Amino acid sequence: MTNRTPNLRNTLLLAILSAGFLGSESQAANWLMLQGTEPAGAAPRAKLWGFIQPEYQQTDGALLAAGPWKGQSAIFNQIGPDLKSESTFQIRRARIGIRGTGMPLDSNVNYFFLAEAGNNAITRQGGGSVRLTDASITFNHLPGARIRVGQFKYPGSEEGLQAIHVFDYINFTNASNQLLLERFFDGDGSDKQNPNRPNGAFRDVGVQLFDTFRRSGWEHSYAAMIGNGNGIVRADNDDNKDLYLYWSSEQVYGGKGPRRQGLKLSAWWQDGKRTLTGAGAGEYDRNRWGAALTFRKQQWRAAAEYIAADGMIFNGTDGGAVPGSVNNAGTAVASFNVAPEGEADGWYVHLGYAVTPEWELDARYDVLNRMTDVSAQERKLETLTLGAQYFMNKKSRLIVNYEVRDAEAPGLAGSAVPNQILADIDDRISVQLLAIF
Amino acid sequence: MHYLSKPVLLLTLLTVLLGWSAISLADQESKPFAEKRVVLQISDNNPFKQTLVLNVANNLLKHYGTDKIDVEIVAFGPGLRLLFAENTNKDRIQGLADNGVRFSACSNTINAMSRKLGHKPVLSSHAVKVSAGVVRIMDLVDQDYILIKP
Repeated sequence: MTNRTPNLRNTLLLAILSAGFLGSESQAANWLMLQGTEPAGAAPRAKLWGFIQPEYQQTDGALLAAGPWKGQSAIFNQIGPDLKSESTFQIRRARIGIRGTGMPLDSNVNYFFLAEAGNNAITRQGGGSVRLTDASITFNHLPGARIRVGQFKYPGSEEGLQAIHVFDYINFTNASNQLLLERFFDGDGSDKQNPNRPNGAFRDVGVQLFDTFRRSGWEHSYAAMIGNGNGIVRADNDDNKDLYLYWSSEQVYGGKGPRRQGLKLSAWWQDGKRTLTGAGAGEYDRNRWGAALTFRKQQWRAAAEYIAADGMIFNGTDGGAVPGSVNNAGTAVASFNVAPEGEADGWYVHLGYAVTPEWELDARYDVLNRMTDVSAQERKLETLTLGAQYFMNKKSRLIVNYEVRDAEAPGLAGSAVPNQILADIDDRISVQLLAIF
Repeated sequence: MHYLSKPVLLLTLLTVLLGWSAISLADQESKPFAEKRVVLQISDNNPFKQTLVLNVANNLLKHYGTDKIDVEIVAFGPGLRLLFAENTNKDRIQGLADNGVRFSACSNTINAMSRKLGHKPVLSSHAVKVSAGVVRIMDLVDQDYILIKP
């Protein structure tokens, strides 16, 4: 059961009427090459660029209906990363970076540098401050084997790998948010804990081998990366390294850059281990894998992706409460939880249509099945996101999203406390502006 | 004192004139029916200028027809990067070359870049070396080419 109050409906109607539809940019692009390399013979020594994403998000703020924190704020109805309000304006992202060749005469060495100053899990978790998101050097000397070294997006899911400033939606799918946007903890949550570092942001520190080949109208890309598997802007905390493998094949219809038209198939695999030093101390496998299809041609855009996870499953918070909240009995403090040996999977489908060059309509349905290996702990999260985009120009746009959200514990009776809690997950409305410079 | 006879003098003069015409006509042989002749200069480091000069060449071909316009692109200074073999615009350069556009590369710039790189830059197979880019432009202007620097 979901809450769809007149308050949110009216807000949605007003937002859509005052916005518009515009063309999407995000499918069927070669993100490995776009983010890791510079155009040969045509790149500047240093190109300054960045983007700003101010936004507003709102739910109805329904309180917890049951459990030890009954009557208190529900984490899923609070707006992150601060989790202190059910409605807020904020600067979601504010990034500035430099990229180029260093020496324009030599296209064999490229660099990419990007920093984040917005209000999000990169800057607020583990101590808030401006964070370095990308700092890498790419060497293009070997035919068929480019080498990228430093901190950058690991080759993986389409939703994670694509550039965030061309993302069609404001919020990630549940599967990407909970299975791939890694939060780093000291323990499994038996003891009170918060993330000990920034959100992983789909990035790692390591070295990657990659390249792209064109054959008969198809573009094939591969990537293999070894990274710390310990988040951004810090060294490794154990002797284990994560291995990332990626392959994509795209039939290119035309265009270039993020707006390129084509049909792309991709698959990826991530294998790693995590070391917990707090509650539940030990070494645990963390494996992820998935496959995606993206399509973009003329006015039509579509995508579908499947993500599977084994180990180190983010498992919500105690009682659905905001971490740090004391329960009603005064005997416990809500904490983030991790299931070191849990399993999960999720998927989404997306459809977009550019009604005019300035306007686009989008719809996405996503499902996350969390803790599928333990019936009593299994949770199913479903979200239908309805979106509209209006492009003022090539570098500025307005996005409006309305998320119809549902959640349940399928292994438990409807009257069970978890289902009573999850029944009050609100819909969410988001409005975001984007300006790229 | 002996002087050249008039016939010999005339013959010598005629030979010189024919030779000069041959040199001039060599550039125009590829487009003998061209009604317009344009030399495009690229000497900028700005990557956008690479796109612009190729766009201008393409637009000229589209407007006049490939046989009615003769286009040569002369690259020197930082603009020579357009004619590097690995340049991201190589497919467009191939397309223009297939339609008769010529590409000239300044040897002075090549030598200067060689010293900075430690090796000679590898150029596009469509690039023809000229001794000096500005001299090439001046020669073409003398042959009634219109100079355009996008």
